Amino acid sequence: MALPSSTPETGQDLLFDRSGRTQWRLGFDRAAGWLLPLLFLVAIIPILDLVYYVGAQALPTLSLAVITNTNPRDPYALGVPIESTVEVMLWATAVAVALGLFGGVATAEFLGERAAGWMRMSANLLVGTPSVVLGYFGYFALVLGLGWGLSFVAGATTLAFFMTPYIFRVTDLAYSSIPRPIREAALGAGARPYQYVVKVAAPIAFPQILNGVFLAVAIGVGETAPIVLTSTHSVIVPPTLFSPVTFLTAAIWLNFSQPPGPALALAFQAAFLVLIVVVALNIVVRIISARYQKRLEGLYQ
Amino acid sequence: MNAMTSEGPVLSIRHLTIQAKNKKIIDDLSLDFPPSSLTAVVGPSGCGKTTLVRSLNRMVELTPGLRVRGEVDYLGQNIYAPQVNPVMVRRRIGMVFQRPTVFPTTIFENAAFGLRLVHEDLEVIEKSVQDALERSGLWAEVKDDLDRPALSLSGGQQQRLCIARALAIQPRVLLLDEPTSALDPAATQRVEATMQRLKEDYVLILVTHNVGQAARVSDRVAFLHSGRLIEVGPTADVLERPREPLTQQFITGRFQ
Repeated sequence: MALPSSTPETGQDLLFDRSGRTQWRLGFDRAAGWLLPLLFLVAIIPILDLVYYVGAQALPTLSLAVITNTNPRDPYALGVPIESTVEVMLWATAVAVALGLFGGVATAEFLGERAAGWMRMSANLLVGTPSVVLGYFGYFALVLGLGWGLSFVAGATTLAFFMTPYIFRVTDLAYSSIPRPIREAALGAGARPYQYVVKVAAPIAFPQILNGVFLAVAIGVGETAPIVLTSTHSVIVPPTLFSPVTFLTAAIWLNFSQPPGPALALAFQAAFLVLIVVVALNIVVRIISARYQKRLEGLYQ
Repeated sequence: MNAMTSEGPVLSIRHLTIQAKNKKIIDDLSLDFPPSSLTAVVGPSGCGKTTLVRSLNRMVELTPGLRVRGEVDYLGQNIYAPQVNPVMVRRRIGMVFQRPTVFPTTIFENAAFGLRLVHEDLEVIEKSVQDALERSGLWAEVKDDLDRPALSLSGGQQQRLCIARALAIQPRVLLLDEPTSALDPAATQRVEATMQRLKEDYVLILVTHNVGQAARVSDRVAFLHSGRLIEVGPTADVLERPREPLTQQFITGRFQ
């Protein structure tokens, strides 16, 4: 099939692409290979700077005594905000997981296309809603509407609404991305739809959903408005569900505009703790993701 | 239809029509499946053979937009009758798919899947799992590591595990939708050997686009074209002396 030619062509002649366009593209590729890591560095500089700045302000005065001090008369203690935050997050996470899981599974497995579309759109809207707006919603709907008052339960539930769409989205995605043949195999073997959801899909989707829960917790713990607008502030750990409660970020919000001194230091200490929790949760998410990839190798072939 | 035994058919399709939006995927098709038989459903791509087997355990209902008319009788009961629960149908009429569909758990739990659904006790499950794995021809290879992840098996082993999973709940009918299309020749051969052993005890319905496979394992061939049953009969008759010109064209490879 060789074309008639006066000089025999070498492998190089046939295989090398010496056109200008290709040379330009290769050059661009090489440049991009250098440029992208550089841009990455630029992007993480603010984060590193943030950690350094907050750490430098917080660490000199941060001590175990500050963290464990729950004396309500000591304005420069973090024991109460920390304990309150843990309690609020437990409540908020429990509510958000219940709502998010239920909604996500329903959307992915049971609802019709149209209803599922509405659910997904609502969740996207909710994610895009500023937390202040959600805080106002909580104030009007829970504090006033349901008559819960400025309270722990109103604040934590409002925070749960804020976290729900994140858990909803990962649940929906985790269930929707299970290969169709796996679903059909389970149903074809005589599984009822809920048995498929619980016995086959849940173990596959679980790590991804757990990731979503951790991320939602990381996002929720950094929020201020949903709590401050619905439960004001408190110097004690709430004795009942309907008592006001404080939050770590509320300690930042109340103190960060103070002149240099113990109050400002307290804001930085609280900020540093929140930062640590958020970073730790994100690292946990990374670890789970990596394990998950390994366990399901071969499923999506 | 040609009754091969004196017993009545286990499964019989009566005037089945499956309608998509503006196309009949299956067009007024009737066909009987006697006990202890392996019927190969062959035909060109898009002839409706996969839809046909998926209609035999109501898997077709998982595809939105398809309408089913007519009857599929299992031991005399129409599986599309309103009182029939599709879940119960699928526990009697098992299915194996084109690609192995093992679940990301152990070999044992995969084979035990159907039994766990009906809450058998462990002793029964262990016995049934061994029996099913023996029938599917996988027992010798996996008996010492039933706790290994099923995803670590080869493709052919995974497919035989899927057969075992379907068999463990003791169906009478096994639907096989191109079960070897994703397997290499050696694995295909083993799955075919499994099918030949199984046809003694079950009604097997095998969808295949491979005439050679139909010739090797089936004792009856049904040829489908454009959703219609063109010809059905003993394998040798249909493949060697087809009565219909369309069948003739298909088996001589003139269209695909």
